Amino acid sequence: MSSHRKNIFLGLGIAILLALVPLLTKRNDIINIMVLIFLYICLAQSWNILAGYTGQVSLGHAAFFGLGAITTRILWVGGYPFLMAFTTGGLVAVVFALIVGHPALRLRGIYFAIGTLGLAQILKITVGNILPTVADLPGDYIATYNLIPRYYLFLILAVIMVVVVYLVGHSKLGLGMVAVREDEEAAEASGVNPFRQKMISLAISSFFAGLAGGAFAFYQVSYYHDLPFSPTWTFDALLITFVGGVGTIVGPIIGAFFYAIFREFFARAFPELHVFIFGTLFILVVLLLPGGLVEAVSRIRRLIRAKKTDTGFS
Amino acid sequence: MLEIERINVSYGDLQVLWDVFFEVKKEEIVALIGPNSAGKTTTLKTVSGLLRPFAGEIRFEGLAMGNMPIHKRVEMGISLVPEGRGLFPGMSTLENLELGAFTAKGRNCKEETLEQVYQLFPILKKRKKQAAGTLSGGEQQMLAIGRGLMSKPKLLLFDEPSWGLSPLLSKVIYEVIGEINHSGVTILLIEQNVRMALQLAKRAYVIENGRIVKHGDGRNMLNDQHIREVYLGTESV
Amino acid sequence: MNLQVSAQSLIFGIFVGGLYGLAAVGLSLVFGVMKMLNVAHGELLMLGGYVTFWFFSLYHIDPFLSLLPSAFVLFLIGMGLYKGLFSPLAKLHEEVKIKNSLLIGFGLSLVFHNLAIRLWTADERSVSVFYSGWGFSLFGLRFPFIRLAGLVLATIVILALQQFLTKTYFGKAIRATTENWESAALMGINIEKTSMVSFALGAALAAMAGTIVSVGYAIHPAMGLEWTLKALIVVVLAGLGNIGGAFVAGVLLGGVESVSALFVGPYMEVVGLVIFLLVLELRPQGLFGKRSE
Repeated sequence: MSSHRKNIFLGLGIAILLALVPLLTKRNDIINIMVLIFLYICLAQSWNILAGYTGQVSLGHAAFFGLGAITTRILWVGGYPFLMAFTTGGLVAVVFALIVGHPALRLRGIYFAIGTLGLAQILKITVGNILPTVADLPGDYIATYNLIPRYYLFLILAVIMVVVVYLVGHSKLGLGMVAVREDEEAAEASGVNPFRQKMISLAISSFFAGLAGGAFAFYQVSYYHDLPFSPTWTFDALLITFVGGVGTIVGPIIGAFFYAIFREFFARAFPELHVFIFGTLFILVVLLLPGGLVEAVSRIRRLIRAKKTDTGFS
Repeated sequence: MLEIERINVSYGDLQVLWDVFFEVKKEEIVALIGPNSAGKTTTLKTVSGLLRPFAGEIRFEGLAMGNMPIHKRVEMGISLVPEGRGLFPGMSTLENLELGAFTAKGRNCKEETLEQVYQLFPILKKRKKQAAGTLSGGEQQMLAIGRGLMSKPKLLLFDEPSWGLSPLLSKVIYEVIGEINHSGVTILLIEQNVRMALQLAKRAYVIENGRIVKHGDGRNMLNDQHIREVYLGTESV
Repeated sequence: MNLQVSAQSLIFGIFVGGLYGLAAVGLSLVFGVMKMLNVAHGELLMLGGYVTFWFFSLYHIDPFLSLLPSAFVLFLIGMGLYKGLFSPLAKLHEEVKIKNSLLIGFGLSLVFHNLAIRLWTADERSVSVFYSGWGFSLFGLRFPFIRLAGLVLATIVILALQQFLTKTYFGKAIRATTENWESAALMGINIEKTSMVSFALGAALAAMAGTIVSVGYAIHPAMGLEWTLKALIVVVLAGLGNIGGAFVAGVLLGGVESVSALFVGPYMEVVGLVIFLLVLELRPQGLFGKRSE
């Protein structure tokens, strides 16, 4: 109970600190990178609940992100209130997930992974063909464009996402998901309905990925309509989650900070070779820290604790 | 020939073998018996190198095998006929046999050994072009044994040779194991069909909960009260 | 729709399809032996294309002659990659192994992509030989020489691989490892060595596909993902690990895509993907695989 409370207070504290950032700085580059981090947290965490907690490694996450983005953008630019467009975006992603969920979740392991990748590619190509144009914001939207509300939208979204994963992770539902991940047959034998668990997980995952897409459509001034459907969004979610620590709540958060900041840093320091350096660094992390940064942090913590008790006794 | 010196083996955090010891002398048949999940298969896997003990030592012909990789052990003359046969189901019977002779030693006298195997199991010659996965259960076991012989082993390990076979076929397979032993190959086998194993084996060890609890002469074990009660299902009168 | 046009499309589709097949065979080989999905396979193909491009522009070596040298270069690179990056994963637990191999593949594709931009710029390149325009017509259908030669070469390479896998001891060891690596090890097969050679061979096969692409088509640093996807589709159509089937499935996919382009235009790739998903759902063992229980 007390660790529960400690976690909640810690999370709340960090969220309040982050809410103060726009008051402390007027630098757009900082605000922009924070927005990117929040976007990554949401994208990675929503992937994590399906892949990390429930064990269904999807490579089609971009489909939900893209559906949220395109729905939100079209409705919003079409004159509907933003919040309505935004929520509809999330819902459209869920509806799509529910339609494809049944056949997709029948596939297991690597088949599920490549099947979802194929599904997302179909959407991407289709959208690219139907709407080959750039999604520009109309002039009056640009005139009133302000970064600060975007910052708060992303922050709130990321916080809600983390809270949801935290609550699910500590509930009976979450236990069922982990049981499905560990051993589907055993979970079924002990009364868990694996398909139901996977479906709920997929629904939560797609809803938040759709909302993240909607927020992206609110934030980005100009992009090709099929850009949010690009598999790179899926790969980003995957890289962030794994680098941070898959199946943990802190993993995607640490991963998102690490990913966004390092990429930005390398892009400035070595504009020519930054992807090369980042890729190499990434491979090293995977090879040397197979459990992700979360594992590294807990290892360091254990070391420090061991040292403390050492000095305490001497 | 084979000396197992107090080996301890674990799967991750779960220890399954505790100070397991036994010895197989040249040209003997030794049986390792025990209930399900007592550690029999684990023991054979450790001898063949698929698992590594975290303590203890395995010696073969006086040589400590420590961290020797699996393929080197095969070259030294240890061959395992694995649990569930472990055939290559998509490859032909002949290809399975040829792979048995993968080692340099096996390859050198491949044709000759192949003839011997065909003599032992004539049906394999008939089936030589057929995919291993399409053979009957008995034929598959014959193929697994034949494949094990192809490397010209000094020590042949059997993991449940009667698994999935009718009593009649099991008898045939056991007769063959006896013949193989007569030709000079040392044999270590694990078996759930305790009666059959004890009738064939010169000596036997009983393993329970990952520990050796009893050992002795094969025939004498058949009359042992504990063995009769637990494994043979016959109350001693 | 004119029959002539359809037939011509089919022919061009088969030419491309042979390359899909060649690309898929390498991916399938590596997956079969190591149970790792190398998502940087398309990047290896791209590198193979650029090596050929280099041989051609620096030393004026005919691209078809550099097929084997390029393959050899990628074979060595493959060996290095296996030793340095993938071999340490072999000891890990099955699930962690699959995930980490995916991640390393992603990392590698980033690295190679960026490296290719630095070395050769982001432009499309193509090896243009003096016989580029050669070809002949049959029944009013056009057969460009370089594409036909590409298909013939791809077929020869696959047949040679088939012979290697069924006739040589080492080839049989590779197949045995694919079917059951524990049993293979118990036969005295050195799994580490077999995995390394298979990975390197996979890279070499990708390089050969890349070489042919660089002559008949075009190469660019971002082509990797495209080709990985194509190879993946073909591998699934044929059944994971089914090497002979992969080539046939590649030709099939190329033909279907190309002909369907006449009817659905820019959605031709969707057609391939839909077939891919249907096969995944209804025949997960692949079009040519046997159902295993």
